Amino acid sequence: MTLLSFIIFLPAIFLGTLIIHLIWPERNALAMFLKFSLGIGLGLGISSILYFLVLQIAPGRINTLTLQIILLIFLLAITFLRARKQNWKEFFLPSLSHLQWALIGIAILALFISALIYANTIISRPQGEYDAWSIWNRAARFIYRDPENWRATLSPDIALFGHADYPLLVPLNVAWGWEALENETLRVPMIQSALFTFSTILAMFSAIALTRTIGQASLASVVLMASPGFILTGTNLTADIPATYFIFASCILMYLFFVRNDAALLVLSGFMAGLAGWSKNEGLLFIAISPIALIIASPKNIGRSLLHYLAGLAIPLIIIFYFKSIAPTNDLINSNISFIAKITDPSRYWMILKTLTPSLFRSDIIILLIYTAIMYKHPAPNSRQGIYAIVTLLLLQLLGYCAIYVVTPYDLAWHLSTSQGRLILQILPLELFLCFSISSDPESVFS
Amino acid sequence: MLSARTKKILVALLLLISLFSIGQFWINSTNITDRGANALDRWEADMILVKKALPIKRGVIGYVSEQDVPGAKYEYWDTETEFLLTQYALAPLILKKGPAAEWNVAVLNYKDLATWQKTYPDLYEIITIRGKVRIFHRLNNP
Repeated sequence: MTLLSFIIFLPAIFLGTLIIHLIWPERNALAMFLKFSLGIGLGLGISSILYFLVLQIAPGRINTLTLQIILLIFLLAITFLRARKQNWKEFFLPSLSHLQWALIGIAILALFISALIYANTIISRPQGEYDAWSIWNRAARFIYRDPENWRATLSPDIALFGHADYPLLVPLNVAWGWEALENETLRVPMIQSALFTFSTILAMFSAIALTRTIGQASLASVVLMASPGFILTGTNLTADIPATYFIFASCILMYLFFVRNDAALLVLSGFMAGLAGWSKNEGLLFIAISPIALIIASPKNIGRSLLHYLAGLAIPLIIIFYFKSIAPTNDLINSNISFIAKITDPSRYWMILKTLTPSLFRSDIIILLIYTAIMYKHPAPNSRQGIYAIVTLLLLQLLGYCAIYVVTPYDLAWHLSTSQGRLILQILPLELFLCFSISSDPESVFS
Repeated sequence: MLSARTKKILVALLLLISLFSIGQFWINSTNITDRGANALDRWEADMILVKKALPIKRGVIGYVSEQDVPGAKYEYWDTETEFLLTQYALAPLILKKGPAAEWNVAVLNYKDLATWQKTYPDLYEIITIRGKVRIFHRLNNP
């Protein structure tokens, strides 16, 4: 069942990878790795949107997996026709030094151990953590068990902590996976979560390898795998790692746009930002702040950049707007307590600062910050705007989290203690990407 | 400016610290104690029996717990967790707290059940499923 649960996701993965390749036709091996790692998430995002549309048109009567395979064949034909005209001599694997081989070997070893950690942990609790069954798989069951009446999952009668308004990317993929297998196996959410967890690591490796060096990419990937909570959060089977992945994917693509000045990358970046909002409500905050970062980082050609970014964002945003129009109001908004009273209460700011600071400056992050400060290397001129964008995104996302805490209708101490770790995790890969983009790489240190 | 040698040591140190952490995570993952998976399975097994006994497959059903019994002692998060677990198990039926519908799932011990019966005599047919789990079928519409 585990293998079958993996196989059903393959068409979505190849679909996503081909779409990225068609939009961004760069053909070097490292770019191909990045396309694959981003294609995994894009494919899963598109498959959830496809299933969502199926639910609107003919619930229970169209097989989503078949639909994906038809689309895949169509895209394969287009890719094949286009590839015949292209020169594949440019496609080559870079030759590696002994140091790079050693570092890649260490990264592969770390990846293998991380896979064991993931397996050991998830077997000990196949249903995932509290939110997995009370929110995400609960919604998947509503949809899979009664697709014609799928809107029951959005019923205002669903209890407050069932969070009926939460976006559906994760539950929809689980539901169509069960539909394809005709079996409500927990292997499907496990595999989906593993795909998002390990494709985040692969995205980190391939993005740094493409923009810096393979040694630096290996180091960054190992540090990500060693970050407390990253692998374990993947085993929770919640939407936190998917949201982390999409925020990271969108930022990488925005960064690459600044480095390569290829507007197609911004279209993909916008789409990924949209999928962040389609996977978790915190992604909506990212959708709101990411155009601001784009404007701040690219004072020239703002119109052109924004147009491409918003073009990519449009489809998932329309889906989100439609979904929100039929879903109950979010518990953070649906509150009678005065925003003004909270905004003007200094004790709330103090509590947020006091609670978030230790999480923001955990020992592993302090080590990394010291490392980055010591190893700092001026970024290349073509990557400076990208660095500004990443810094702006990080700061705005953090400020956004703080703003949500300021106005939360819940007990602030409880809300902070139950969510801050997850929120910090959502921007962790981005922090690492920034640190390893501006620090000396092992190749130059050991040369 | 730091010497090249110091930078080499830093890279090696970062790698070693990271590998040590991953090793620690792996050791911890081989000694995971019970995290409630079996309890969740048992709850599901009880609720499968409830689902079979209920004559409706969609719509709203009520959920009666210690919260609905006058004077009953309970831990808020325990009852909340049981409620959410029941909702997860019985999807796509929508669970509403209290005796909110004609058909209601009840999770009550014998003492609280007796109190409930004293408070609402002859209003419900009580179908015992297993242990604390019962179905309360309202006999007359209010």
